[in-house]
Amino acid sequence: MLPMTDIAIVGYAQSPPTFGVQETETQMLFPAVNEALARANLTRADIGFMCSASCDYLSGAPFAFVQTLEVTGAWPPISESHVEMDGAWALYEAWVRLHHGDIDTAMVFASGITSRCDWREVSALQLDPYYLMPLWVDDISLAALQANALIESRKATERNFAEIAARIRGGDADEFLKEPYVVEPLRAHDTPTMSDGGAAIVLAVGDRARELCERPAWIAGIDHRSEAHYPGVRDLTISDAARIAGQQSGVGKGPIEVAELAAQFSHEELVLREALGLTDGTVVSPSGGALAANPVIATGLVRIGEAANQIIDGGRKRTLGHASAGPCLQQNLVCVLEGE
Amino acid sequence: MSEETKTDEHVAFMSQMVNLDYKIVTSPVHRHFDEQMREGRIVGHKCPSCGLVYVPPKGFCPRCSVITNEDHEVEVKDTATVTSFTVVTPIQYQGQKERDEYVLANLLLDGADSSIGQQRIEGIPHDEVRMGMRVKAIWATPDERTEEGGGMRGWGLTSAVKHWEPSGEPDAPREQYQEHVL
Amino acid sequence: MAAGPSWTLEFPYRRSLGPVVGEFFTGLRDGKVLGSRTKGGKVLVPPLEYDPETGEAVQDGFVEVAETGVVHNWAWVNEPLRKHPLDRPFAWALVRLDGADSSLLHAVDAPRDKVETGMRVKIRWREERKGHITDIECFEAV
Repeated sequence: MLPMTDIAIVGYAQSPPTFGVQETETQMLFPAVNEALARANLTRADIGFMCSASCDYLSGAPFAFVQTLEVTGAWPPISESHVEMDGAWALYEAWVRLHHGDIDTAMVFASGITSRCDWREVSALQLDPYYLMPLWVDDISLAALQANALIESRKATERNFAEIAARIRGGDADEFLKEPYVVEPLRAHDTPTMSDGGAAIVLAVGDRARELCERPAWIAGIDHRSEAHYPGVRDLTISDAARIAGQQSGVGKGPIEVAELAAQFSHEELVLREALGLTDGTVVSPSGGALAANPVIATGLVRIGEAANQIIDGGRKRTLGHASAGPCLQQNLVCVLEGE
Repeated sequence: MSEETKTDEHVAFMSQMVNLDYKIVTSPVHRHFDEQMREGRIVGHKCPSCGLVYVPPKGFCPRCSVITNEDHEVEVKDTATVTSFTVVTPIQYQGQKERDEYVLANLLLDGADSSIGQQRIEGIPHDEVRMGMRVKAIWATPDERTEEGGGMRGWGLTSAVKHWEPSGEPDAPREQYQEHVL
Repeated sequence: MAAGPSWTLEFPYRRSLGPVVGEFFTGLRDGKVLGSRTKGGKVLVPPLEYDPETGEAVQDGFVEVAETGVVHNWAWVNEPLRKHPLDRPFAWALVRLDGADSSLLHAVDAPRDKVETGMRVKIRWREERKGHITDIECFEAV
């Protein structure tokens, strides 16, 4: 186990969520990267390591992310890495990298343009290529199986889902319940509003973080876990992966004031609340979470960034950001942040 | 039961066609470039910070991270220097349209600081193509310059330029293009 | 996806299956369903190569299970996507075949008012089978 290094988030920004962005992905990322750096009082030249996140399946071209590297101003050549998944895992990689002790700043950025693909079809491509992908079972269908499992085990009702959606979206749960199903038992408001967006987070170590930011959001713990992929061997009413990630990142060590959860579907919030042991005292996803805007690849990074801002700007002491990947919350990352 | 399958043969492979549809979106900066190409003008953006000219324009300078726009537009010439090239032997895969060998080159257009790849060179035996060779654009007729739309992904040129041919000028000295091989 | 010009990315994949998935698909081609058995004795259908709980390799050999079973969970699709297994409203289901300890995910072709957890279903075999998960065309009510 690596000795824990004091690493903090010192700057975060996201590009304004939209759908149907006309600019290139690189152009879309510029405001997020520029603002995150500005908030951290750094320039690109100051950054020791960059890690980006994207998904080729959104643009239909291999190595599509290479073009977005132009947002880093990579001349002279930079040290960078890339993850083909949510930016939260790029942040994890940057966090590990900073433990080497030879650099004291890192930047992470993620972009997702969902408006140019058919996301429900694309989502099937992340699945087991032998047993699941050939059925083209999409993300909403799989989420509906989990939602139904919750209902049939009496852990939740459709009204519970509607109330979460109403809280996040504004609106009336009773009115929501009159809407038709998309895939029963999920209705449109239970499913994420797909979006195009990018986000960037700047990390710094120890005293450097204190120089750059008045109130850094220290990463008190970060962990990610995955469970079995095939839904037929899992208990879909719980999330062991989120529970263990929460334990390992130290969620239970103190009260969590704000939890930004990457619950793309309303029922996922219930599963995650239970898995992470969140109490009624925790404000959940005040940013709107992944339900209100889901650029997929940037979604988890935005959660961590929003949780960090609650400390940096919002005066909070202890928050968490969550990210997930895979069908029915198969893989989960939890990042616990603390303010001094 | 399929006649191709012997019933005692173990199934060792599966076939799976994967097809996904993608919407073509051309960014405003590339749409403008495409419109200019159809007018017979090749334009780029000149970075206000470092002065480098990028063709096609990106809407930013990748070195300075400065945003650029129409205020920074400059026109470049349709004559260029070959900075590198390759002779492509087309593999006859399904869907391949090329039959004979052909030359693709990286070109540094006069006035530009970024080279453009995938440019076709014709009108010269392949073994005479060389780095430093001077070429000129052979344009499609105004009628032939169709609305490119989907083709303009921000690299290469639109179909308004069909290919390039030797211009007859003396070769450019190495110092002029050696930094622009890629 | 919004309207406008589009293009289709298409790749014909050919995947090697290995001894476990290959045996399962061979079984499907021959009209039978095979499962793998964990060291602890659980029968996994469809067969996995490793025990999802312990990570150990499954035992050698396969167990044949029935082509009938019980729906353990379902989700009703009113408007099938173009690539879904059926082109009329259907249910996704996790089906516990008789003899198995895990569930198979597939489509159930039945009217909405017949679909419920606990309903008994059986495989509708595709006429021309080749060793593919779609050799099971879908499930239907018994």
